[in-house]
Amino acid sequence: MTPIIHVSNLNKTYKVYKNHKGYFGLLRNLINRHFKLIHAVNGISFDIQPGELVGYIGPNGAGKSTTIKMLTGLLVPTTGDLLVDGQIPWKERKDYVKKIGAVFGQRSTLWWDLPISDSFSLLKHIYEIPEETHSANLNLFREILELDPFMEVPVRALSLGQRMRADLCAAFLHNPKLVFLDEPTIGLDVVAKQRIREFIQFINTEKHTTILLTTHDIIDIAKLCERVMVIDLGKILFDGSLETLLTTFGGRRILSVEFAEFYPAPILEVAEIIRREGHTVVYSFERKQVSASKLIRQLSENYRISDLEVRDQPIEDTIREIYEKQLLYNHPYDKENPSS
Amino acid sequence: MHAIRILRLFLNSQIKSQRQYPVSFILELLSSTIILGFYFLAFALVLQRFGEIGGWTIGEVAFIWGITELSFGSMDMLFSGFDYDTFGPMVRKGQFDQILLRPVNVTIQVLGSRFVLRRLGRMMEGLIIIIYGISILNIDWTVGKLLYIPILIISQVLFFGSLFIIGATTTFWTMERLEILNIFTYGGSEIMSYPMHIFPRPIRLIFTFLVPAIFMSYFPAVYILDKPDPLNAPDFVSFLAPLVAVIMLWLALQFWHFGIRNYQSSGS
Repeated sequence: MTPIIHVSNLNKTYKVYKNHKGYFGLLRNLINRHFKLIHAVNGISFDIQPGELVGYIGPNGAGKSTTIKMLTGLLVPTTGDLLVDGQIPWKERKDYVKKIGAVFGQRSTLWWDLPISDSFSLLKHIYEIPEETHSANLNLFREILELDPFMEVPVRALSLGQRMRADLCAAFLHNPKLVFLDEPTIGLDVVAKQRIREFIQFINTEKHTTILLTTHDIIDIAKLCERVMVIDLGKILFDGSLETLLTTFGGRRILSVEFAEFYPAPILEVAEIIRREGHTVVYSFERKQVSASKLIRQLSENYRISDLEVRDQPIEDTIREIYEKQLLYNHPYDKENPSS
Repeated sequence: MHAIRILRLFLNSQIKSQRQYPVSFILELLSSTIILGFYFLAFALVLQRFGEIGGWTIGEVAFIWGITELSFGSMDMLFSGFDYDTFGPMVRKGQFDQILLRPVNVTIQVLGSRFVLRRLGRMMEGLIIIIYGISILNIDWTVGKLLYIPILIISQVLFFGSLFIIGATTTFWTMERLEILNIFTYGGSEIMSYPMHIFPRPIRLIFTFLVPAIFMSYFPAVYILDKPDPLNAPDFVSFLAPLVAVIMLWLALQFWHFGIRNYQSSGS
């Protein structure tokens, strides 16, 4: 199968100008400006097959948005190859953007003062969507996303969750082959997030739309994506299943112990204390290093325990640790499983 | 044409949005008509003391003043998408990216992104002043003069529009308004409201060669009002307005497209 997205050794380098200071500096800026080069995206390569739903994650400033901007044709790469559905995104812009959709959680694509039904009919003309396709899609999405209660309400009067549902509907009306979702669940409550995830899942399964999902909510990825790519400092450090990522790095477990009395320093050799609150102390330990039962035995020999709980470290914490400690760097995974 | 149909739809929806606030619309319409009208009234009162300005009577100044007001108002209504006070924030907030993501000509989309209906106030004010000027003048009307007035107004609209497009383009680099450009847009419209030979030579040179405003109001008025030209320009310069406007627009659009290409390669 030919991949719908083919990215090979893609680079984007920004020039960031440093201004001279002071009044003379203003003049000197005109003559010679110093700049430094920022490698926002630094030689990434990957292929995405039609119909895949891929998660694209990484800490802030890792290069996610720059990649998305290049894939959507908003930015021209500095070097490297980029082919989406046989086209180079920033060339033939009008032709290309017809085939894609995009939702940016932080801002709406809809008309602020118009009822969302008007926005949807404007989009019909903009994308030249045939009447049957438009009404079939609209009817379907209205039902799944439950848009009916606010179809005649202008965007400015919608709640964040309602607005996001309307934006999702808008992005899929023209049956795009490929959709970029950038933080579609940001700022939403659990129920709203769930509804949006169900919609994304539905579209991907029913319409075989290829979806690239950028998010900070790892639960989005856990629920939706079989494949996840992790980018940091402009490089793709991991490309595989979330499960592989978590078992490779997320071996840590949490042991929460409530002691019967207060102990100033109930220290365990192979577990670190990550939090304490009154009589309760929370430990974190490596599954491979020590078993929970051994730790509990050690504790009960020395202290009086009234309650305890063992659980896996939450996925969010594992991911944060991967980012913060830059665990993916120089990890053998990278060499054994080249991402392309 | 797809793009033209989209422009019409965008403008319709703009009007629909603005109709949601009818009271504020009418109040702003009235206030801008009256406030701008007072500028002319104040000027007219001063002029009555002296009788004329640079050999031009009050009716003659009213004529070019009114035409400039009408044109600038129309332009400000049509081209307000390019007003850098709104276009700058649009680039900064990433809304320009949304435009690039839609399969419609970018210029058409920016043009349709804003349509300020309340500029009708300024247009009305301009029209009233033109009618006042013509009514107290004894213009020796010919078919040519009658035809030239609408052509002149359209040319001025395109001329001011070009300045707005250039202003909008600079925000790709600066991300904010460059106050200095107001000299050419608002300053240009101010200067075009008076017979230009009364200004000092350096200012006249700027508004002839850098921003060719002199071809848009003074020279055409010399022809329509049969005024002597102390600048001794050849007769044909009176008819250059449409040509100058089209060239300005072409240059402005080249710069605009250059700005968009730069935006796509540098990001924001």
